[in-house]
Amino acid sequence: MLHPTSQRFSLIAALAMTAVIGCGASLARAADVIRFGAPLPLTGPLAPEALKQQQGYDLWAEQANKAGGISVGGKKYQVEIVYVDYQSNTPRAVQAAEQMITQDNVNFLFGAFGSGAAKAASTVSEKYKVPTLAATASSSQVYDQGYKYLFGTFTPNDTLTTPLTEIIRKQAPDVKKVAILARNDLFPLAIAQEMDKSAKANGLEVVYFEKYAIGTLDHSATLSQIKSLAPQWIFITGYTNDLLLVRKQMVDQEIKASVVTMIAGPAYQDFIEAAGQSAENLTSASWWHPAERYDGKDIFGSTENFVKLFRDKYHSEPDYGQASAAVCGALFQLAIERAGSLDHDKVRDELAKLDVVTFFGPVKFGANGQINSLDPPVFQIQGAKPVVLFPPVIKQGELKLGVN
Amino acid sequence: MNRLHLALLLLIGCIAALPWFGGPYALRLGTTACLYATLALSWNVVGGFAGYPSFATAAFFGFGAYATGVLLTLGLPLSLSILLSLLAALLLAGLLGAVLLRLRGHYFAIASLSLVEVLRELVNNATDLTGGGMGLNIPLAAGSGILADAVFFFYAMWAVLLATALMVIGVSMSKLGFGLACIRQNETAAGMIGLNATLYKSLAFGLSACFVSAAGGLYAAWVHYIDPSDVFDILYSVKPIVMALMGGIGSPLGVACGALVYLGLEEVVWRHYIQIHSGVLGLLIVVLLLCLPHGLLSLRLGALWRRARHV
Amino acid sequence: MLTAQLLINALVLGCLYACIAIGFSLVWGVLNVINLIHGSFIVLGAYLAFGLYQWLAIPPWYAWVVAAPLFFIVGYGLQRLLLNRVITAPVLVTLTLTFGLDLILNNAMIYAFKADYRKLTLRPPLGSLSLFGVVVPVDRLIATGLALALTGVLYWLLRRSRVGRAIVAVRLDRDAAVLMGVNVKSIYATAFGLGAALAGCAGVLMALIFPISALTSSSYLGKAFVVCVLGGLGSVSGALAGGLLLALVEGIGSATIGPSHATTLSFALLIVFLIVRPQGLLGRKGFE
Repeated sequence: MLHPTSQRFSLIAALAMTAVIGCGASLARAADVIRFGAPLPLTGPLAPEALKQQQGYDLWAEQANKAGGISVGGKKYQVEIVYVDYQSNTPRAVQAAEQMITQDNVNFLFGAFGSGAAKAASTVSEKYKVPTLAATASSSQVYDQGYKYLFGTFTPNDTLTTPLTEIIRKQAPDVKKVAILARNDLFPLAIAQEMDKSAKANGLEVVYFEKYAIGTLDHSATLSQIKSLAPQWIFITGYTNDLLLVRKQMVDQEIKASVVTMIAGPAYQDFIEAAGQSAENLTSASWWHPAERYDGKDIFGSTENFVKLFRDKYHSEPDYGQASAAVCGALFQLAIERAGSLDHDKVRDELAKLDVVTFFGPVKFGANGQINSLDPPVFQIQGAKPVVLFPPVIKQGELKLGVN
Repeated sequence: MNRLHLALLLLIGCIAALPWFGGPYALRLGTTACLYATLALSWNVVGGFAGYPSFATAAFFGFGAYATGVLLTLGLPLSLSILLSLLAALLLAGLLGAVLLRLRGHYFAIASLSLVEVLRELVNNATDLTGGGMGLNIPLAAGSGILADAVFFFYAMWAVLLATALMVIGVSMSKLGFGLACIRQNETAAGMIGLNATLYKSLAFGLSACFVSAAGGLYAAWVHYIDPSDVFDILYSVKPIVMALMGGIGSPLGVACGALVYLGLEEVVWRHYIQIHSGVLGLLIVVLLLCLPHGLLSLRLGALWRRARHV
Repeated sequence: MLTAQLLINALVLGCLYACIAIGFSLVWGVLNVINLIHGSFIVLGAYLAFGLYQWLAIPPWYAWVVAAPLFFIVGYGLQRLLLNRVITAPVLVTLTLTFGLDLILNNAMIYAFKADYRKLTLRPPLGSLSLFGVVVPVDRLIATGLALALTGVLYWLLRRSRVGRAIVAVRLDRDAAVLMGVNVKSIYATAFGLGAALAGCAGVLMALIFPISALTSSSYLGKAFVVCVLGGLGSVSGALAGGLLLALVEGIGSATIGPSHATTLSFALLIVFLIVRPQGLLGRKGFE
């Protein structure tokens, strides 16, 4: 029998050793398969968003494999998507990206969810020179590091607020005062700041601009204050649950305004259903809308076809999150097929050269990797249905004023 | 310096050999291991030696991350930024400690917990300085190839771990350590024999915070992007406690081993049980507390057959 | 007008906060255990109310009939089987244990119900009441009324019933209670069960007003903490006082320095109270 201390020490060392070895094991690579890594926040506060991304990726993978796979220089390769959960924790997203590249041997990467995580994880993919397509990174700061292997399918945040402000200014000249309420979180706050700039640039007076903490349960004091300032335009950002709560409390306190804009609730079907009558005449903007009509060269073809395939598989309407995820897959497919190889640099060059219409809209990446060819739609909920107001080529109706 | 202290230093020495055995991913794990061990050893000073159940580790981790991050964005070099955050944390924690450590038991635990919340919200609201809810982008500190970077950060974190271990060993061999042990056992009696409890407790709190802050700063430089909910995460307070419980509260060697074992378990669970990993962590905690309250270091192989008795 | 509206908002919200905290306060005051599972119990109660309304069309104001006994049994069992083993252990152990249990429950809920938010929308919606320029939503009023009723029931229970008197006795002086013939182990379990039942009922009420998701459990827990420290432990009046104070501070803070600072303010207030007046507004000194 060993001395007690050494006994314990060796037991502990053995446990630690086993644990480390357990992590070191890597998976074998299968032949004729292209692996795409998708780090997603499958657990934690961002989980609902991750599920949407997953739906988009899975739909694309299914369609690609149904058509026989991706054609690489004449040979067909099956598509496999590797998911890793980074628990809504950005540093883990970075770790997940590195793990997928070094341990799981993925060929290409999808960006992590949101601008912050996408930017953080992109340092890893850039170092390993793995082409990455970010489906949900809108902040232009994500692309300011001069990286060559990072591309994104969301246009910068101000492309959402600028057209909206111009429409309101032209069609609602009585709107003079704006109140802005933002969730103190990356995307909602960034968009609210763009709105602030946009409003001021268009001669509107911003009478209120505050942030509410994540996890706020009650907005009654804030809303009472906004009501007392009597703005004609109320602009609120947050995630679906926040917006539902704020909208309900607005109705509770009988707050009325000419224009109420919410980002990003009204883009989602579940928001419209849950809000019911109170969703009427809410305005919003997003990067894509199922009402769009593009005739794409990608695997989905037309927007209608994408919407139909999505509905068939998931029995619900797709929104811009799922569409963006799916288009990232489709863009990879186009680039790989054009490059005729899986070589990182060749695929990367094809992505940089892309100038193609897809079901998501016209896709062309700027020099920094962020898409600059989209016209994000502005829409309004009329009769419990979203009606597109901008851009003119797909306009479906006119702006209606007055939100109760 | 007794045998256990030597064993601790030996363990840390072994860890330094990692770059010869593993690639960038293993180094990433190794850096995390050093980070966890630093947090656990630091917590042990106020939680194990002094007996005050502190949940404030996350507060100082986040503080260090943001202090260093902001200094880096202002252009200061990495080593200076980390040193400054270390000193700032030492000062801040010392002052806070004098006030908060007058509370005992539950109240102290809650106060330390609230410290995390307060600091997080303060950072959240200082948008101009810290980016608020939008997070802080930190300029790349070093950058010449994946492996070089990984090795750099591994050794930097390892250096912080070594410094922490030396601090802990120093404390346990000094009058401070003796005083803390008296405070832990019976604070009133300690006061009666002339021990300046407030001073000792503040020192302990300060020392437990300064290396955590340095680790946080290094962490921020390592990941390049931090936001308040990431670094002021309550789990950074709870995990060191679980590690200490696993290894055996009070014993530096035990705590460090607990950190390594915890990391191993966390990695295995993360890879294989994507959906239920926090549940598994919870289960681990429950089993640990009910069956093995004095940690792994108290295990005698023969005792594995005997059921653990009351706490 | 704004001040009147803010005050009414705070009043209504304060009663809701008190309702959230009352079970937490009871468990902490009587067993000296900080029950970190409390927030998740509330969310579970909310899911229960949602399910009952969605599939059996039982409105939330009757759902508590199902929730209360169910949660009582769960709480009683939990305490008897698990928590009782560590009841004399140091603070660290009980706190970490309940943290671990909360992780399990929270993860289970996310796994079972998914993380996206549900909303219990009453059909037809109840609308708002408007009096002298001040607007109050009817569903909040109902929830407030029920919350007050709940606290009233607990108050009556603690004052008049045998079990209640025993619980108070154990809280005041455990050893004396043992000498008086009180079965302390059983009382501990009962008190915990009662705390869980109150959490479940609070959850049912919350379902009327707030969106439901396992991700909100930490917000509820945070509120419960602050209310208990501000108002004082173990007493109904303490929870009410704490709830009202918190709601007032948040409301006034929101209107003067902005909503983003309101949360910081409530936690800073918590720390100040812990240092200056740890027994809270209405509590008694003597618990560590």
